[in-house]
Amino acid sequence: MTRYIIRRLLQAFPLLFIISLVLFILMNNMGDPLATMGGRRVTRKEDRIRLARQLGLDKPVMIQYVYWLAGNDWTKTDMDGDGVAETPGVRKGVLRGDWGISLVNRKLVTEVIGERLPNTLLLMVTAEVVVLVSALLIGIYSALHQYSLVDNTITAITFIMYSMPVFFFALLTMYIFAVNFKKWGLPYLPTVGMFEPEAGQTFSQVVWHMVLPTATLSFGYIAGYSRYIRSTMLEAMGQDYIRTAKAKGLPRRQIVYLHALKNAALPIVTIIALDLPFLLGGAIVTERIFGWPGTGRLFLDHVSRSDTPVVMGILMMIAVAVIVFQIIADVAYAWLDPRIRYK
Amino acid sequence: MKVKRIAWISISVLVLLSMVLSGCQPGSKTVVVTEAQGPAVEPTAEPTEAPPAEKKVVTFIWTQEFDTLNTLYTNMWFVTVLYPIYECQAWWFDDKNEPLPNLVSEIPSLENGGISEDGRTITMKLRDDIVWSDGTPITSADFKFTYDMAMADSNAVSSRSPFDLVESLQTPDERTVAVTFKELYAPWLSRLFSGQSGAAILPEHILKPVFDAAGTLDTAEWSKKPTVGCGPFVFEEWQSGSFARFVANDKYWLGRPKVDELFFRFVPDDASMIAALVAGDGDVGTFFAYSDLPQLEAAGLKILNSFSGYNEGWYFNQHPEKGNPAMRDVKVRQAIALAFNREKLVKDLLLGRTGVPATDWDNSPWVEPSLKPWPYDPERAKKLLEEAGWVDSNGDGTRDKDGVELVLKYGTTNREVRQDTQAVAQQDLAQVGIKLDLQSFDSDTFFASYSENGPSANFSLDIIEYSDSPDFPDPNAVVWLCSEIPSDENPAGVSPTGLCDQELDSLFQKQSKQVDFTERQQTMYQITKRLYEQVFWLGLWEDPDLFGFSNRLQNVKISGATPFFNVSEWTLTK
Repeated sequence: MTRYIIRRLLQAFPLLFIISLVLFILMNNMGDPLATMGGRRVTRKEDRIRLARQLGLDKPVMIQYVYWLAGNDWTKTDMDGDGVAETPGVRKGVLRGDWGISLVNRKLVTEVIGERLPNTLLLMVTAEVVVLVSALLIGIYSALHQYSLVDNTITAITFIMYSMPVFFFALLTMYIFAVNFKKWGLPYLPTVGMFEPEAGQTFSQVVWHMVLPTATLSFGYIAGYSRYIRSTMLEAMGQDYIRTAKAKGLPRRQIVYLHALKNAALPIVTIIALDLPFLLGGAIVTERIFGWPGTGRLFLDHVSRSDTPVVMGILMMIAVAVIVFQIIADVAYAWLDPRIRYK
Repeated sequence: MKVKRIAWISISVLVLLSMVLSGCQPGSKTVVVTEAQGPAVEPTAEPTEAPPAEKKVVTFIWTQEFDTLNTLYTNMWFVTVLYPIYECQAWWFDDKNEPLPNLVSEIPSLENGGISEDGRTITMKLRDDIVWSDGTPITSADFKFTYDMAMADSNAVSSRSPFDLVESLQTPDERTVAVTFKELYAPWLSRLFSGQSGAAILPEHILKPVFDAAGTLDTAEWSKKPTVGCGPFVFEEWQSGSFARFVANDKYWLGRPKVDELFFRFVPDDASMIAALVAGDGDVGTFFAYSDLPQLEAAGLKILNSFSGYNEGWYFNQHPEKGNPAMRDVKVRQAIALAFNREKLVKDLLLGRTGVPATDWDNSPWVEPSLKPWPYDPERAKKLLEEAGWVDSNGDGTRDKDGVELVLKYGTTNREVRQDTQAVAQQDLAQVGIKLDLQSFDSDTFFASYSENGPSANFSLDIIEYSDSPDFPDPNAVVWLCSEIPSDENPAGVSPTGLCDQELDSLFQKQSKQVDFTERQQTMYQITKRLYEQVFWLGLWEDPDLFGFSNRLQNVKISGATPFFNVSEWTLTK
């Protein structure tokens, strides 16, 4: 198993290299970061020429990629525009931990992302926990009470929720629990931000502001996951070893959770492992609608301004997380199912 | 059964949690009972101290978060509009767009010696009482430092204008700044340490050590936390994605502001802004859609309409090689102007809350007085097209000439009001036999440069639409110069039309060097008349800045050039 993990980690490097190259080239073809640098006015010609030079945007895409990856402190750049490269570069490159500066505000990319990442993790991890607990409970209940009235009701609701777009659910909950509750004089939920600035960033403020975004993020996943769990549980409960366990007189709890769920959970582990990396990227639509200051909203703001360094930072963070969590999923798979052995 | 019990327990926990949270809900009052400590004390007859006055806070609802608070690096109108709040400049502009001294004791002029005889040197005399918020005096050294930082090659500042036109900046003493331009530069009043296009002053005593240590100001912490400032308000706090606060500057030389704090709340979109203003959660908002104005006014907000030089208009492709030849025929352009009912467009889409401009300099003293917007006259349009040889020979509803159909590619960004405008224009022009092929793009794609194959720069479109302004309140504009036509040799050029009209080019060059107002005005009259008659540009609507203010805010005046110029005089009624 250790050799397997090491091999997977080593294989990750060339994969990340290819991912970064493809993303970098795509980002450079998605718009002109200098186009909006004039603010409300069209960028002046003189400023466009100078900024392209100073920010390294006048170089061919592959040279820009090399500088992004390995830095430019090993070469010289033309900072004064006289056509002679006389000034040593200052960038160390991603391989040495320097993710560059944002083209929008010249802040360090690590700082820009670091300001928002905790907010995203707070929201997404909470949503994921809610999803897992709820989906497990609902899925197991449905499987054990197949075709009962409750099961059929759950089925109908999950299909509706699964089909509903995220933004529609978000706006619907805002309309009911914020606008109408306020109108009816009931305690109402806030719709924007992480906390009321006048009250400060307290625990209760953040929790209160998290209710609607968490619900919005969770509902679709609960619907989907609960169906998976129901389906795999039904399959597991119909196996011979479960009939044997029942015949042997094992407690129902042990049969369901120790024997059936452990096998039914295998596909869910893979799905969850594939979803977890995207916790880092945030939920673009949800964060936008609720004004949650996370990496999803950051991504949207910076991709619209073609801010390659920040967007690459977020995308590479997700790419690394995908690879790491896939490895974790494989290891978890092997733990759950002793028949699986990696070489 | 076990699962059922777990489910019921979970539901009960959730219900209890929601009850606990509702108790924590903001706005719920907690009654605190204090026990008396020691023996009761007889109330005395002495008067007790008055409780501290409630802080007067004005809340701005901003739909775009700041990129940076450093004047040299910001690209955003949502930051430059705040210069009169937390920055200081040589002068502001008042509600008549007249210059109003801020750091200087008087506006430079020929009479007071502030403008040299040859017009190239502008000498600014600074006030004696100007200080930074930490008490350090503001001197000419701060001006020199700002200029040096803008021109430093290691600083990737957003714009060097107008410093890249400066030959030298001298500081003969602490109270004098003498800027000599390489050539006469008439727009200095709106750009030289002034206006939203110009720079504000940087504190040398704070930032020079930063620059000396790092070799650049690009990553300076001060850019996001300018805790030492010189405006009527000083930066206090900025929580990324949430809010920012500016508090009253007790050391402001024109007097401490009457309100204590300006609070900026960042919301994700216009709908959130409107909801916050209508609910009374905010005092100031801006950039409204015209369709939102009735709702805001019904909620008691005052809407102030401040013209800042921007006009929405069509630029017609005049490139000699790349444009559609039809666009180079003045009769076709005039026909388009007559066929498009822009008055009705403004009435329907913009609720009649603005007007149709005849030129890009309307509402300023620079427009030839006789010019009025082209009227809606489709019959005259049809006649002009026929005179130009465009007839519908095949009966398909679109005119043609020499076998070529009169189909024009019309592109703009994907803002909703522009999409609607495209649809209306397509209908109107179809009535006179002109077919419009509509295209729309994201902003950063649309405004990409020639080298990036931007649609507004590569002359692939026949008509492009966007809103632009001259150097308001100065009339200078560079987009009509022949030298600004983008090409392989000049990829950064900013001409949207590809027009090289020698008469216009020489007139624009001339006005940029005319310091005398009357002479310059006459030159501008010639410019506006030529642009109007030739229809190189067609105005769709005047694009003023719309501001909404709650009814508890008093004494608010708005300037087109520096909107919040009198922020220190604002008061709150409650």
